[in-house]
Amino acid sequence: MISPHNDVDKLVNILSKVFSNTSIENIMSSPPIVVTEETKIKYAKEVMRIKGISGMPVIKRNLKLAGILSIEDIIKVFESGDLNDHVDKWMTKDVVYLSNTDTIMKFLELNDSKKFGRYPVCNDSGKVVGVVTKLDILEWMFKKLGYIYVHDDRRYKTLNKQFVSSITGEEVNRENSDFKFKVNYKSVEMVGLGATKLKKFLIEKGIKQDLVRKISISTYEGEANIVIHSNSEGCIYCWINEDHIKVFIEDRGKGIEDIETALTEGYSTAPENVREKGFGAGMGLPNMKRFSDRMTLISSLNKGVKLEMLFYLNDQGG
Amino acid sequence: MNLDKLIELTKSKVITKSDNINEFDIEYAGASDLMSDFLAFSKENMFLITGLTSPQTITTAAVIGAKGIIFVRGKEIKENIIKIAKDLDITILKSNLSMYVACAVLYNNGLKDSMGTDEALK
Repeated sequence: MISPHNDVDKLVNILSKVFSNTSIENIMSSPPIVVTEETKIKYAKEVMRIKGISGMPVIKRNLKLAGILSIEDIIKVFESGDLNDHVDKWMTKDVVYLSNTDTIMKFLELNDSKKFGRYPVCNDSGKVVGVVTKLDILEWMFKKLGYIYVHDDRRYKTLNKQFVSSITGEEVNRENSDFKFKVNYKSVEMVGLGATKLKKFLIEKGIKQDLVRKISISTYEGEANIVIHSNSEGCIYCWINEDHIKVFIEDRGKGIEDIETALTEGYSTAPENVREKGFGAGMGLPNMKRFSDRMTLISSLNKGVKLEMLFYLNDQGG
Repeated sequence: MNLDKLIELTKSKVITKSDNINEFDIEYAGASDLMSDFLAFSKENMFLITGLTSPQTITTAAVIGAKGIIFVRGKEIKENIIKIAKDLDITILKSNLSMYVACAVLYNNGLKDSMGTDEALK
């Protein structure tokens, strides 16, 4: 389980670096839920209760930031104040806020030094245009993450030992897979054999047809990549779990140096003889990303490629 | 459109037929020699129109759930391809028409675009 503070901070920290140039206005909740200074505490606390939030910016009549009111402030009112008091009497006046043009990096710096749960976001004329919380950042990232790209020291560790799913956190145990297919990388002609075998297998298992289609197309692309690019042995594994189907495709070939570029539609390094066979349009990885609910690709030069895709059995996937 | 009509329009020869294909109502088709395009933009139960006669054409058709393939430009179809098509239950037709003409005649007779770009013409 993720304990609410340290682990969330750690996760936000790791993921934020991937998106460090994204500006806060793409992530913040907007329009924000706000109260004016003259609002009575008893109404402000109701807004927080109904909206299920633990704090909100307080604004002046001209919409500029006046302060922030949090649950802690409300507790203080209960201890020693009057619910008919106005918000400006109890709010925190010295507010740390972000500008809508700030990036995630700025959020991270603040998050390290201040440890507040939420930050108002103001535009260049000082008006409050949104609110951003750690959860907003996490949620935004998970929406954004069709794939998680690990491009630092950790990938070497991962590539050299038992593969641990970065999506589910489980170890990938090749021995207990429900389906296994060894890819013959020497023959472009044989591309697709594994994917069609997997398709048959999934249909026999009673998996819904549209899901089988998504899985077999993604697997086909993964299989084609082994043959076209890796020049090494590769294998397709599949596990049917209660709520999802996992496909894991790995090879021991030359790997991908620049995954960002490889994920670009239309980018391909496929040789001419492969293009003659109708491949190399640069749609492989983008297709896999599109058809899977979650995709992780880990690779580096000469370390092979490890591709993990999850397909949800219900409609919970994005 | 049923299979007989499709064969008649494209002046095709049947190379192999899958089970129950005669009763099937063909609604969509798409044409490409690039398998990746089929993988990216396809509709289930469609017919592929292609000049690429390789085993991957059949496996591509199988994974996207296409019903059949029309090989155009009178390409030679090798025995191993027919075998894979039988295994995977894919119908194969062969036509001497060019891809352009095969597409035109099918489109004019009501087959819809698997990519849906025909919507823009309406």
